[in-house]
Amino acid sequence: MLRRRTLLTSAPAIAIGMGLIGRNALAAPAALTSETVLLPRKGNAARIVICGGGWGGLTAARYLREELPDADVIVLERNPIFWSCPMSNKWLIDVVDTGFLAHDMIAPAQKYGYTTVQCEITAIERDRKIVRTSQGNVDYDFLILAGGIRNAYDAWFGEDLEAAEYTRTHFPSAYIPSAESLALKNKVRNFTGGTIVMTLPPPPHRCPPSPYERACVMAWHYKTNNIPAKIIILDPKPQVAPIGAGYRAAFEELYPDIITHVPNAKVKEVDPYNKRIMTEAGDFDFDEAVLMPPHQASDMVFHAGLIGTDAEGKPTGWADMDPLFFHARQDDSVYVIGDSMGAVSPHFGHYPKSAHVANYIGKIVAGYIGQRVRGEEVAMRLPDNLCYMMVNGDPQEAISVEFTYEMGADNQVHQTQIDIDVRTPDLMKEDFVWIDGMFNDFLR
Amino acid sequence: MSTTPPRIWISNETPAQGEVVRIRAQIVHPMETGFRIDAAGQPMPENLLQGFQAHLDDDLLMEWQPETAISQNPYIEFTFAARRSGALRMVWTDQSGDIATVTREITVGG
Amino acid sequence: MTSFAEMRRRQLLLTGAALGAGLAAVAVPFPARAQISTIAEPQPDDAESDRLAAQFLDGQQPVNEGLVLELPALGDNPAAVPLRVHVTEAMTGDSFCEEIIVLASRNPLPLACRFRFTPMTGSADVAVRVRLIQSMKLRALARMSDGRVLQAKGEITVAAGGCGM
Repeated sequence: MLRRRTLLTSAPAIAIGMGLIGRNALAAPAALTSETVLLPRKGNAARIVICGGGWGGLTAARYLREELPDADVIVLERNPIFWSCPMSNKWLIDVVDTGFLAHDMIAPAQKYGYTTVQCEITAIERDRKIVRTSQGNVDYDFLILAGGIRNAYDAWFGEDLEAAEYTRTHFPSAYIPSAESLALKNKVRNFTGGTIVMTLPPPPHRCPPSPYERACVMAWHYKTNNIPAKIIILDPKPQVAPIGAGYRAAFEELYPDIITHVPNAKVKEVDPYNKRIMTEAGDFDFDEAVLMPPHQASDMVFHAGLIGTDAEGKPTGWADMDPLFFHARQDDSVYVIGDSMGAVSPHFGHYPKSAHVANYIGKIVAGYIGQRVRGEEVAMRLPDNLCYMMVNGDPQEAISVEFTYEMGADNQVHQTQIDIDVRTPDLMKEDFVWIDGMFNDFLR
Repeated sequence: MSTTPPRIWISNETPAQGEVVRIRAQIVHPMETGFRIDAAGQPMPENLLQGFQAHLDDDLLMEWQPETAISQNPYIEFTFAARRSGALRMVWTDQSGDIATVTREITVGG
Repeated sequence: MTSFAEMRRRQLLLTGAALGAGLAAVAVPFPARAQISTIAEPQPDDAESDRLAAQFLDGQQPVNEGLVLELPALGDNPAAVPLRVHVTEAMTGDSFCEEIIVLASRNPLPLACRFRFTPMTGSADVAVRVRLIQSMKLRALARMSDGRVLQAKGEITVAAGGCGM
């Protein structure tokens, strides 16, 4: 834990964790001690500060304003625009354009009546209920941490920050909205042939089916353009999951000469300089790579000191929050939503780290906070989940997975997962209906 | 019942003579086992998909009888050897009767 | 794990205690919530599955080749474990597969499903998804038109919970 904190407060580590910003762009040390107030209080209204303007954060902001019309709702976000991870694999091969994924964050803030501030979060002082940012300090009654994930390159490289930075810049994972997405798209476009290795993060990680989808759309691009590419998926899991049968059918039937799936390929060592990966399923040399390191809760959860520990007392890397009400176990004024959340059930562990779940939990937590501020009972709600994954470009076909949740008699949340393994064009159409509904929910 | 039509994938609707055609089909159905008790303590009545049949015109190609072990939203994959053209008709049945029918033309090429 | 009653009590305390000056909070009873339970119990042993197999065999000795039962390495979603059964020999008008059953030995009802084929089918290759209440042995039996019964066995470990039975 101590080492983790040391890493977080050292400038290069933050640069890696935050992805977008270069080392030179870090907040000056002075900002960490500044008492500049970012936004003054508006009278007596409850103030809810949301760290992270992604799917969960912006959804929570909208619904908090509806729950509590007088509340002062503030979203702190480092990126100047909203960039949708859902559909971004399709964007790699131009099924959707940049305007489809990128949205301004001013319009929804104006429409729903919350405030967005573009800034870096540098510290969270829960004892004073203050978030320190690169723009000044902001105090809160309730805090929602909606920061998504961090790339845990330290799991591969330990203290070797040079290797981590080299890997991030040369073989970006493009799993967090940033310039990495464009870098990956250019790589896909400019590749003339050879072996591409793709490492999948070990579970739990953000959007488990998406790396397979990425392999499919890349393979489709190479197949269609007669580029002699081999894609090797290094999967730490024993089999493709979720939607394993649907993906396996796509790999074998659509891309038999391009995609190779290697199960049980837990990464042992990464040598980015010599383009070599050592795994439990063998060693792999590559010409090009999409290296997805393990995921953890976003840096802000570490800043807030709300990372859970396992039975042996070791940090889980994920938030320690109530599995039903989503407030931090040690601080009921702080909620953690979306991908940073820790386990919620002994039966299935984490909720899927998906945009759909983040949106749903954002709504649920807005309701919980609304009920608390109004002095009402807090009524538990459970989310559901839905993901569509494109596997074929012509005809455009997708597969899908649905999750439902219910309370069991053992007082634990139970999950039912339904894979839709039959690839069809109508699932592709449903995906567009889904995302249109989502964008309407919190962006338009 | 759900209004979602069954999802169908056919490996080749214009197969060569004798080609083995693969069909994947999935329907939305709760597959309630009758084992579950609802929040009010009442047993949730059994509601299972009872049958699936695939015909080529009037010839039966295959028949499937799911029991309680079959997952919610039942998935069936099967193959048949395409010996002649015809209408591939798939029918799903539960205790309320036939709940879905999908017909696809199979044209055996030269 | 914290008991449900404990969680509920804690949430009530929270409701009352959480807010600072200027924000009123009132503790009110927690609503009853939907809880679905199941009376499904796994079979204690393989006896019922063996009985169903014997019934299907009808005195025949099973042939342990010619039929393949494919199971995943791990049933990571016990509510939907994909399985495939197929007869490897070619089907002819004289020799074809008439019927296949799949037995999930420890499920409350071990007969998972039954398939019937005709001379028109020209193959016997099926895949379905089953829910499995625990780790167990599975068995498929295929009756051929010439009277032989082909058999294939497998075993699977499933992740705990969430079977949905």
